[in-house]
Amino acid sequence: MNDSHQDVFDNIKGTVGDVTVDNPKMRLSNVDVFYGEKQAIFDVSLDIANNEVIAMIGPSGCGKSTFLRCLNRMNDTIPTCKVTGEMSLDGEDLYGPNLDTVLLRARVGMVFQKPNPFAKSIYDNVAYGPRIHGLASNRAELDEIVVGSLQKAGLYDEVKDRLDAPGTSLSGGQQQRLCIARTIAVSPEVILMDEPCSALDPIATAKIEELIDELRQNYAIAIVTHSMQQAARVSQRTAYFHLGKLVEVGSTNHIFTNPSHELTENYITGRFG
Amino acid sequence: MDKLHLDQHISQQFNNELEDIRNKVLAMGGLVEQQVSKGLTALLELDADLGNEVSTADFEVNKLEVEIDEECIQILARRQPAASDLRLIVTVIKVITDLERIGDEAEKMGRFSAELTETGQVVNYRKELRHLGELVKSMLRDALDAFARLDVDAAIKTAARDNDINTEYESLSRLLATHLMEDPRNVSMLLKITWCARALERIGDHSVNICEYVVYLVKGRDIRHISFDQIQSEFLSKP
Amino acid sequence: MTEQTTQKPQADKPASAPKKDTTALVRATLARRYAAEKRFRIYGIVAIAASLSFLAVLLVSIFIKGWPAFTHTFVKLNVTLDADTLDIGPNPSSAELRAANFASVIKKSMREKFPDVKKRKEKKALYSLISTGGEYQLHDMIKADPSLVGKTIDVWLPADDELAAVIKSGADLSKPENIVTRMNEQQLGFAKILKEAGDTKTGFNKTFFTAGDSREPEQAGIRAALVGSALTLLVTFLLSFPIAVAAAIYLEEFAPQNRWTDLVEVNINNLAAVPSIVFGLLGLAVFINYFHLPRSAPIVGGIVLSLMTLPTIIIASRAALKAVPPSIREAGRGLGASDQQVVWHHVLPLAMPGILTGTIIGLAQALGETAPLLMIGMVAFIVDIPGGFTDAATVLPVQVFLWADSPERGFVEKTSAAIMVLLAFLILMNAVAVLLRKKFERRW
Repeated sequence: MNDSHQDVFDNIKGTVGDVTVDNPKMRLSNVDVFYGEKQAIFDVSLDIANNEVIAMIGPSGCGKSTFLRCLNRMNDTIPTCKVTGEMSLDGEDLYGPNLDTVLLRARVGMVFQKPNPFAKSIYDNVAYGPRIHGLASNRAELDEIVVGSLQKAGLYDEVKDRLDAPGTSLSGGQQQRLCIARTIAVSPEVILMDEPCSALDPIATAKIEELIDELRQNYAIAIVTHSMQQAARVSQRTAYFHLGKLVEVGSTNHIFTNPSHELTENYITGRFG
Repeated sequence: MDKLHLDQHISQQFNNELEDIRNKVLAMGGLVEQQVSKGLTALLELDADLGNEVSTADFEVNKLEVEIDEECIQILARRQPAASDLRLIVTVIKVITDLERIGDEAEKMGRFSAELTETGQVVNYRKELRHLGELVKSMLRDALDAFARLDVDAAIKTAARDNDINTEYESLSRLLATHLMEDPRNVSMLLKITWCARALERIGDHSVNICEYVVYLVKGRDIRHISFDQIQSEFLSKP
Repeated sequence: MTEQTTQKPQADKPASAPKKDTTALVRATLARRYAAEKRFRIYGIVAIAASLSFLAVLLVSIFIKGWPAFTHTFVKLNVTLDADTLDIGPNPSSAELRAANFASVIKKSMREKFPDVKKRKEKKALYSLISTGGEYQLHDMIKADPSLVGKTIDVWLPADDELAAVIKSGADLSKPENIVTRMNEQQLGFAKILKEAGDTKTGFNKTFFTAGDSREPEQAGIRAALVGSALTLLVTFLLSFPIAVAAAIYLEEFAPQNRWTDLVEVNINNLAAVPSIVFGLLGLAVFINYFHLPRSAPIVGGIVLSLMTLPTIIIASRAALKAVPPSIREAGRGLGASDQQVVWHHVLPLAMPGILTGTIIGLAQALGETAPLLMIGMVAFIVDIPGGFTDAATVLPVQVFLWADSPERGFVEKTSAAIMVLLAFLILMNAVAVLLRKKFERRW
């Protein structure tokens, strides 16, 4: 960090806006994340609410993805990564003894930046999660889950004739919807999305955004995005991260018309910051 | 407009576009102010030539409005402005609408003053009209000033002055009503004067709108239809 | 003021000047650049052509030299299987039969064929035209059909390697001075007579694929070495593949990054560079001298070669695992798969083609390896075809080495033929690898 960054960093004092909601699905309080000696997240508190899309925006390297990955402990695989703070899902401690990572990830699903279907058939891609978790007791049940998930992901009509085709044979947007279907198949409670549309064309993006809006009825969704317009379109609440701190949280309407913090303003209006 | 940091976008082109719009709005404000001033002079001095000049010059105001509107739409389409930029564009679109209406009112005054010159009886109300006119002119000037300097305090204080104008207008219109009843022969002339007074009063209202937009632009809050006390307590900076 | 005006154009020039000249400048360099590219392409083509021609020369020379080994010349003799001459009684036992004097039967028929030959030296020259393999052939015939005893039959008996070489070369026997052979003039005379009488033929050399090694080139076969190589490679594969893949998976997917794993990594890389003969010495010292495993056995050869192959497969497997996109691992974990499930369900299937390629490269290397096997005694003269992992055996490259070292003319072609068999073995292995890879490979 050079001096001007240091000044900016020092001037971010706490978070503007209300970080809590009533009946949160996930509650994160005073989260710090370290990669070895380097601290990536500084004292971030944020609630994830049910039936709501919360968008996390901010410049590259602001810690939004890191923060998202804390929510289902994807950072566990990085040996040098250390997470402190209180994090809970429905009041259960994320790092507590009752919430094994495998169980946690079954409850908190994740969709990644690059569509990453397995090198298996479309059917097997969706059926994989239910299979390893034993969610279906027979083939008919599994079929039902797979078809249901593909339908919810808005992909079923496009692939119903070729469920045996490899998942990788689909187009980029279809692949991403397949990945979403795969995530839904495990019936998670929260869906995390890490820039799900950054590799897609505008039409595929629009379809995914429409899907996200539909999924909101049943899930809590947290989405990290580089596209401010996307955050504005899909989310109900927006959180702005900068230099590892959560600068501002508020309703998306508020953030995009009249943000309270100067840094938020600078970021979303494309000013030097 | 330094508070909005219009020159700090990463896109230099965007900076230029916003600067251009801002300059055009200020130019339009100046033009409208001049129109009002000329219209008022024409009315008070019964200068038919000046009145005609005002009513024909209105097209320039209209032209500017269309131009600025066009540029705003282009920015909305191409830049998808957010936050203060979005508020600026929305404010500009509204301000120029009001400015255009003010221009129309000035044009109306110019037109009526040319007609009144023929009868030459405006003399009786010159004092009242001048008083009302000066109030309106200074209010419009201050409103545009507040817009140019993004001065919320000035905007709120300026908006508050609309009450004086209304009071003045009401007393003038009462006077005109009395005279109308007394001497029905002058109906046509008196109606024209009433309309001129009405035009001045409308300019005051439009100026209030501009002041409200300034508050929205700077503070992000819509203060229309909120009691003045509340506005004062919320937005006026404490001395 | 004047200063400013004179300076201004200078200041402007660098900004505007290059734009103007770009086209011209680029055009000036274009020809040179294309020429360089063309030159480079020619270098490449020349390099490829050179290596291809070297390969072609090598293969052609091997083929030309080795091809005759797959055929052999036979001489037709009218043999009287007279019990007295054979020195056997009626219904001979197999022991009696083995001791029977087939040589004299053959000699007799030879004498009948060339009644003019009287001198002892001449007779000896005549007898040497037929390989001792002829005796075995007669033995096998009588053993299969004892009623032949006492009858007179026409048989095709294998010719001696010198005679065979001359006949196969198609040389003009009427001009003996042009023929390079160890046969003397007299023998060439006999050969000419035999050939002109139509009593010689050249046919497929079955012996080469059915027999073990022999001191006699015409009786020497590749089978013992082939089986030995197959057994050794089987041991190598069974040992090195699972161990190497397991090691690679552990190191790549599960091992913590610390000084110990770094050390292991460095050592594996170093191990790949260790001269193979060192592994041979190790095998000799540890497996034979200490554990008393049998000498010259495929099991020891296989173990030693696995030591040598392990690092190759580990390195290739790790590279293959590393090449699996991390997004796949994330996808698996994101769905709640455990680390093991991620590896077994997703990473390993995607890495399998690469792992198989590495394995085949390692095994091909092992197949061609001679030095370590020399150390553990697989260089021995093995006549019998090994029946198991602990039987004494030799392998193809060692057989090539042995034959190349033998003075007899017949072994020259055998050497080349053995190389051809070795190459065929390699091609077969690679074909299997390609097939397996096709099967496992998935479009990503």
